[in-house]
Amino acid sequence: MAENRGLQALEANVIQKDLCAFCGACLSLCPYLRSWGGRWVKLHDCDLAEGRCYAYCPRTELDLDAIHSGLLGGPYEDLAMGPFRRVVMAQCTDPQVRQRAQTGGVVSALMSLALDAGWIDAAVLTRRGEDQLPEGYLVRKREEVLICAGSSYVAAPTLEALNRGPWNGDERIGVVAIPCQVQALAKMRLSALERKTPIDRIALIVGLFCTWALTYRPFMEFVRIRVQGVPIQKMDITPPPERLLKVHTHGDVWNIPLDEIRSFIPPTCGVCLDMTSEWADLSVGTVEGMEGWNTVVVRTERGEELFERAEKEGLLEIRQLPEANFQHLRDASLLKKRRALKALQERGELATGYLKLSQEAVQRILEDGTEAES
Amino acid sequence: MLLLEKDPLNVIITGVGGQGNVLASQILGQMLVQKGYVVTIGETYGASQRGGSVMSHLRISHKDQFSPLIPQGLCDLVVGLEPVEALRVLGPYGNPGVLMIVNTRPIHPIDVISGDAQYPDLEQVLKEIRSLSRRLWTVQATDMALEMGDPLFSNIIMLGALSATGILPLEREDLERILGELFPPERIPANLEAYDKGREAVQEYSP
Amino acid sequence: MSLIAKDAPGQQVLLMGNEAIARGAVEAGVKVCAAYPGNPSSEIIGSLAQVGEDLGIYVEWSVNEKVALEISAAASFAGLRGLTAMKQNGLNVASDFLLNLNLSGTKGGLVVVVCDDPSALSSSNEEDSRAYAKLGDLPLLEPSTFQEAKDMTKWAFELSEELGIPCMLRSVTRVSHARGNVKLGEIPKDVREPHFDTTHPIIPLPVAWTHRSLHDKLAKCRERFETSSFNIYQGPEKPELLVVTCGSSWLYVREAVHNLGLEDRVGVVKLGTTWPLPGDFLRRHLKRAARILFVEEVDPFLEENVKAFCAENGDELGMKTFLGKASGDMPDIGEMNPDIVTETLKRIFRVSYEPRPSEYAQNATQIALQHAPMRQLGFCAGCPHRATYWAVKNALAMDGRDGFVLGDIGCYTLGIAPAGFSQVKTFHAMGSGTGLANGFGQLERFGFHQPIIAVCGDSTFYHAAVPALINAQYNRADFLMLILDNSATSMTGFQPHPGTGRTAMGQEAPVVDIEGLCRALGAHVEAVDPFQVTETTHTIYRLLQKGKGLRVLVVRRECALVRGKREGKLFQVRVDQQRCIGIDCGCNRLCTRVFKCPGLVWDPETGKARVDEAICTGCGVCAEICPSSAIIKEVA
Ligand SMILES: Cc1cc2nc3c(=O)[nH]c(=O)nc-3n(C[C@H](O)[C@H](O)[C@H](O)COP(=O)(O)OP(=O)(O)OC[C@H]3O[C@@H](n4cnc5c(N)ncnc54)[C@H](O)[C@@H]3O)c2cc1C
Repeated sequence: MAENRGLQALEANVIQKDLCAFCGACLSLCPYLRSWGGRWVKLHDCDLAEGRCYAYCPRTELDLDAIHSGLLGGPYEDLAMGPFRRVVMAQCTDPQVRQRAQTGGVVSALMSLALDAGWIDAAVLTRRGEDQLPEGYLVRKREEVLICAGSSYVAAPTLEALNRGPWNGDERIGVVAIPCQVQALAKMRLSALERKTPIDRIALIVGLFCTWALTYRPFMEFVRIRVQGVPIQKMDITPPPERLLKVHTHGDVWNIPLDEIRSFIPPTCGVCLDMTSEWADLSVGTVEGMEGWNTVVVRTERGEELFERAEKEGLLEIRQLPEANFQHLRDASLLKKRRALKALQERGELATGYLKLSQEAVQRILEDGTEAES
Repeated sequence: MLLLEKDPLNVIITGVGGQGNVLASQILGQMLVQKGYVVTIGETYGASQRGGSVMSHLRISHKDQFSPLIPQGLCDLVVGLEPVEALRVLGPYGNPGVLMIVNTRPIHPIDVISGDAQYPDLEQVLKEIRSLSRRLWTVQATDMALEMGDPLFSNIIMLGALSATGILPLEREDLERILGELFPPERIPANLEAYDKGREAVQEYSP
Repeated sequence: MSLIAKDAPGQQVLLMGNEAIARGAVEAGVKVCAAYPGNPSSEIIGSLAQVGEDLGIYVEWSVNEKVALEISAAASFAGLRGLTAMKQNGLNVASDFLLNLNLSGTKGGLVVVVCDDPSALSSSNEEDSRAYAKLGDLPLLEPSTFQEAKDMTKWAFELSEELGIPCMLRSVTRVSHARGNVKLGEIPKDVREPHFDTTHPIIPLPVAWTHRSLHDKLAKCRERFETSSFNIYQGPEKPELLVVTCGSSWLYVREAVHNLGLEDRVGVVKLGTTWPLPGDFLRRHLKRAARILFVEEVDPFLEENVKAFCAENGDELGMKTFLGKASGDMPDIGEMNPDIVTETLKRIFRVSYEPRPSEYAQNATQIALQHAPMRQLGFCAGCPHRATYWAVKNALAMDGRDGFVLGDIGCYTLGIAPAGFSQVKTFHAMGSGTGLANGFGQLERFGFHQPIIAVCGDSTFYHAAVPALINAQYNRADFLMLILDNSATSMTGFQPHPGTGRTAMGQEAPVVDIEGLCRALGAHVEAVDPFQVTETTHTIYRLLQKGKGLRVLVVRRECALVRGKREGKLFQVRVDQQRCIGIDCGCNRLCTRVFKCPGLVWDPETGKARVDEAICTGCGVCAEICPSSAIIKEVA
């Protein structure tokens, strides 16, 4: 019998190995898989030999060369942070947006512009729902973009909202995603399986930088105990050197050192090679030491166009990223890769695991990473 | 009293829970008691409404009360309300002389609906039944009943069909009287019509 | 008019065993009949309820067997004749009262009919209730035929009245749920006036006196049994083997002896009165042979008692060889049939017997096995329980803490099977899911975190769940109680109960409100319609997640069969063949492969689902779960 490439294999190779990134790519494609209360839930067994849940998962098979050549042509070469055109820093000129945004509001500004200018008709974002539970959220108007502003540091099944829709007609879709989700989107776009709607309507992917995302249930239980059961209004992670989880309750702010929440980082983040959302049109993160500014990696032509237009319309202020910051970004990105490869090595899955990367590339990353760390 | 081919004459009415198997055996039994026969009927109940296989064993005698269960291999006539059920009873109860009258409409068991088992090809089932019996009459009872507006008529249609085979001394007047005892008057004409339809089906089938 | 009320003495009619028992009660002039339904006993009270009005008999469905027995005992205490009927498990419920009633004694004839279910064809066990007759020193009668079922019942009233103790009549499925010829007797016209003699309390004390008196009554009973025409011997003067049998086993023995041509070699003692044993009658016949075979269902009741009797009468009866359950000659579980007896006799007498050519037998068995797929029991098309367990399954998966369901007795027991998505993990007695939930609901202190759901039906709720719910509220047991209210006692034939607003005899009755009762306990109570699958799922999920203590959810939707009989289909349902994506990723046959309603058919040729209009009852639930909106429901 042929090897299973459906839900059975997904369970065996990802779920049971604790490698699920909870990105949402497999959820609500069918009546069998759902997110519920921050968990991946299988409602019924499915015995299909081949399924989209398996095909789209960023932790089943990830062949970086194949993705690169499929999306851009040619092999995967920039091992540090993926294909890009330029890296700059930027911030949204509208202080109201900045105030609600996580960093510099670039993401919200770009999505608003894309909707406004008719580049896209709808956007798949992530909002924090009841009890800080993040969920994929569909917006069709610029005013709605700000509902989702700010980061949730909990892994969110954002792509479930893409799968679920509902989609009308031939809407073009934009997605804001963290790296595992961007990887899933790449696999979706390249998949040969049928039923590609709405994937074939994705017109824009804005990626976020990410080193890890927490597991909702145990993390929230921990936080609830730490704030003594008081209802939580907002949570934030402050940049280094402070590095605190700030939990806002009614009138109070509770500071929790980041080290205390590390145990809620799922093992899957430890085997993830992508910090900068390499397959997005643009990737956005923070700028170390400069509050209110985003690092922006412009990767594709489409990304460049949108970014330029945002500048032209005065929505964004763009500056050169200092060389030190650029170096630091490269190093950090490589460090994540190196750690992931080592983790895979320790699990005995460097050759057999989900990642397909040439032996030579693996070697280069491991060496480069050593340099970077020192 | 018409002399039966055998004493006791053993009849199995078989089908699926919900098909009206028990009612059919009760009506058939009463028709025969009215003719002076001694009848025993054993019913597999409990499962009767829940999609399981259901069997009624009828023992028809001139003089004796027999046990409510037919011994293995001694069935003389099978009235199958469902084809696979008709075939199934031949395993324990059939013999080369058994007569079969079978409604050809399959009812899929849930294992078949779910894909865990397969429902055999109908022609194959009928072929096997033929090979294991003296004679087979087929009746499209459910389809006829659906035409009449209610699939539940199929059991009475089968009784009508049975009456036309001449194996048992069944008379329409007896049925009419019994229906009168079982049903409100407004339900009787349709049931008699079903009986007649079943009769005609077999008469056309084997003139 | 119903045959059991037919005033036509001498007429031959075809009666179900249970109807024959009912007719026997009518011919005995019974006045009060009460029972809780339970197969294979249900039609006794069911058929009496239909004629009660005409014949001046009070018939009721009571909440449980103990109450039912108490009701018929009250009639007896007032000098009237009373009857109760139950299945074997029911006698366990009633036994607390019964084992005091035997001592206190009765007045008007009181008959306790127990219908056993050997092989558990529609039961959770196959207990042999005859043990209670011995335990309670009560007369026991066992009919073999339909005529006997009627005649014995009538006689049981007379015996009970003469002796002043209840008389037990034990039937089995193959008598109760079988039909045969019965010659009708007279229906009496006499009128008795009920009165309770307040100068004579009816109590079991002092036990030293009442127990002695009970034994005296039993001794007198034995005398009556000696001459009973229900005990017969058939066979040669000196048979090689003597078969001692009772109940429907007698018919199997007769048939086996006949088919094997052993009439001249085998004698058959058929006992209709099986406790106390008619000693003189037995002694006469046991002398005939040195080898004795016992054929009975289920336990070796006759076997052990007759062996003890032989030991006591060893001088006179001499050495015997006993063949039966103890010797391994007869199966010691399950029901009998002609084939089992035939096999045993074949072996004992070393005769051969071939009812059909062995080649045919092999062939037919093989072909049937190969072509006829098994039919496991499931919920009917349109059954609300399927929708309920679907919701339970989804809610438990969403909850994710390995929760499980504790069940009990009713149609919904099938939740153990694939039809109910195998959600139910325990079932035992009426109401025992609720009782077990009380226990699981206390285990959190030991580190137990799995959520608990107890299910019980509406009828079971009144029967046995209420005390367990009171206990739960009092002791703060932590669980979710689902009361699956389908407005009928469906498993046993749709009998009314305190929630239906209707009595056994068809009168209007006050509705005993389930929610109101639970609220009065102090429990948190909600209600849902299981056909609103999403809402039901989310409600169950929410109630699992939130709160502590007893939470009650009434899941209410009328039994599809009851509804169907009255009104036909709720919706016309069909599958849009264009939209159905069948086996493709995104569905993979959810409706047929997973939901598995028998009203749906999977067509391998088209690769699409279909609705079988002969079976679908139009509940429309599949339309709600279809991921492609391909199942269309239109108001019928
Ligand atoms: C889990 C997580 C980890 C991160 N880790 C880093 C890091 O290590 N280094 C770094 O430089 N930057 C990190 N970021 C990115 C950073 O927090 C900001 O999102 C980014 O700087 C963009 O800021 P902004 O002001 O433009 O975003 P905003 O304008 O505030 O927009 C934020 C967008 O993020 C989306 N979003 C929020 N939470 C999630 C989530 N859990 N999953 C997916 N999408 C979400 C929303 O849809 C919203 O549109 C992380 C973000 C997340 C969500």
